[in-house]
Amino acid sequence: MKVLIVDDSKAIFLMVSQMLEESGHTGVWAEDGQKAFEYLSGNNDIDVILLDWNMPNMNGPEFLEKNLTESFTETPVIMMTTENKPANIKKALSLGAVEYIMKPFTNDILNGKFELVDGLA
Amino acid sequence: MSIAVSEKHEISLEIYKFFADYIYNHSGMTYLEKDYYRLETRLRSLVKLFELKSVNEVFDLYQGSVTPDMHAVLINISTNNETYFFRDIVPFKILTEYLIPNIQETKAVGTINVWSAAASTGQEIYSILMSLSEKYPDLLSKMTFEASDISCEALDKAKLGLYNGLDVQRGLPIAQLMKYFEQLSDENWQVKQEFTRKVNFFKFNLLKEEYPKAKYDIIYCRNVLIYQDMPNKQLIVNKLYASMKPGGYLVLGNGESFIGLETKLKRETFNNLTVYRREP
Repeated sequence: MKVLIVDDSKAIFLMVSQMLEESGHTGVWAEDGQKAFEYLSGNNDIDVILLDWNMPNMNGPEFLEKNLTESFTETPVIMMTTENKPANIKKALSLGAVEYIMKPFTNDILNGKFELVDGLA
Repeated sequence: MSIAVSEKHEISLEIYKFFADYIYNHSGMTYLEKDYYRLETRLRSLVKLFELKSVNEVFDLYQGSVTPDMHAVLINISTNNETYFFRDIVPFKILTEYLIPNIQETKAVGTINVWSAAASTGQEIYSILMSLSEKYPDLLSKMTFEASDISCEALDKAKLGLYNGLDVQRGLPIAQLMKYFEQLSDENWQVKQEFTRKVNFFKFNLLKEEYPKAKYDIIYCRNVLIYQDMPNKQLIVNKLYASMKPGGYLVLGNGESFIGLETKLKRETFNNLTVYRREP
């Protein structure tokens, strides 16, 4: 499985990539929502998107809103963020995120969330 | 004083203690001094993740302002846990798709009594409640729920229904977290009182104590037998049998079976999971 990790923290990207590799998956890095949009516009190889909330240029909710209006990808989006207030979680789900990972998390949580998303297990 | 991990790089006790305390305060996970070697590989992985040169630099970094992402990375790499909501999934599907319909078929009226016999910190009994609430919301008021464990510490946690951010992400879909839990603080979530109040929690030693007679319609006793020798297994199985109502079901853990044991319980299989039934 190929996973687009949209996060402005390189440490998070490296850690999640390492977790993915341990489970036989590959991580691709986009530093913000805009970069993720650009990657998805030119590539059709991503199985799932892990999306941070707070990022420069285009943040997580802005990325989801853009996809709601433009439908540039049907790839499932799982939020992966330190924003863990119920209001924020509900907002992201209403904007089209299919699952939600609250940082911090562990490898088994990441894999468990994949299992909860249709078509990924 | 320092612990030598290699001739070139030593990690001081001060550094180990700093990170052990940080991890304990934020996740409850304990690293005692004798366990510091387990922390070592984790600290070294932080060096790589933050593209630094040494654990000392990581220490300097975390002594400054810890950003949410730095916090996340440290907790992520430090913790491990084995308790899940909806552990193995099928035992909870079987509840709503097989056990309840079968019990309702053979049972005219009356209360359905459920017992989570090795409840640990409560994830199982709350998963049972959530499953039933989704499929049989009207039935909940006609059911009783009991949960026992040998550990008071685990039961205290179960009673409160209080879980940290890692606990509530293990096996629990986000939609159910939103529906059945309240956020108490940044790191803590609590099962809503309408659920915690439904469960009678009590300390119980499955080997030593007297079981109620013919009381339960459904017993979950998962991952208990696997740790027992044959005589103890037989003892527990006999006691469980006697505590089940005719027509009642027993759910064991994945991989647990009655091989080598004598029992009047009948095997039934649904979705590749074997459950055991006392004849109606």
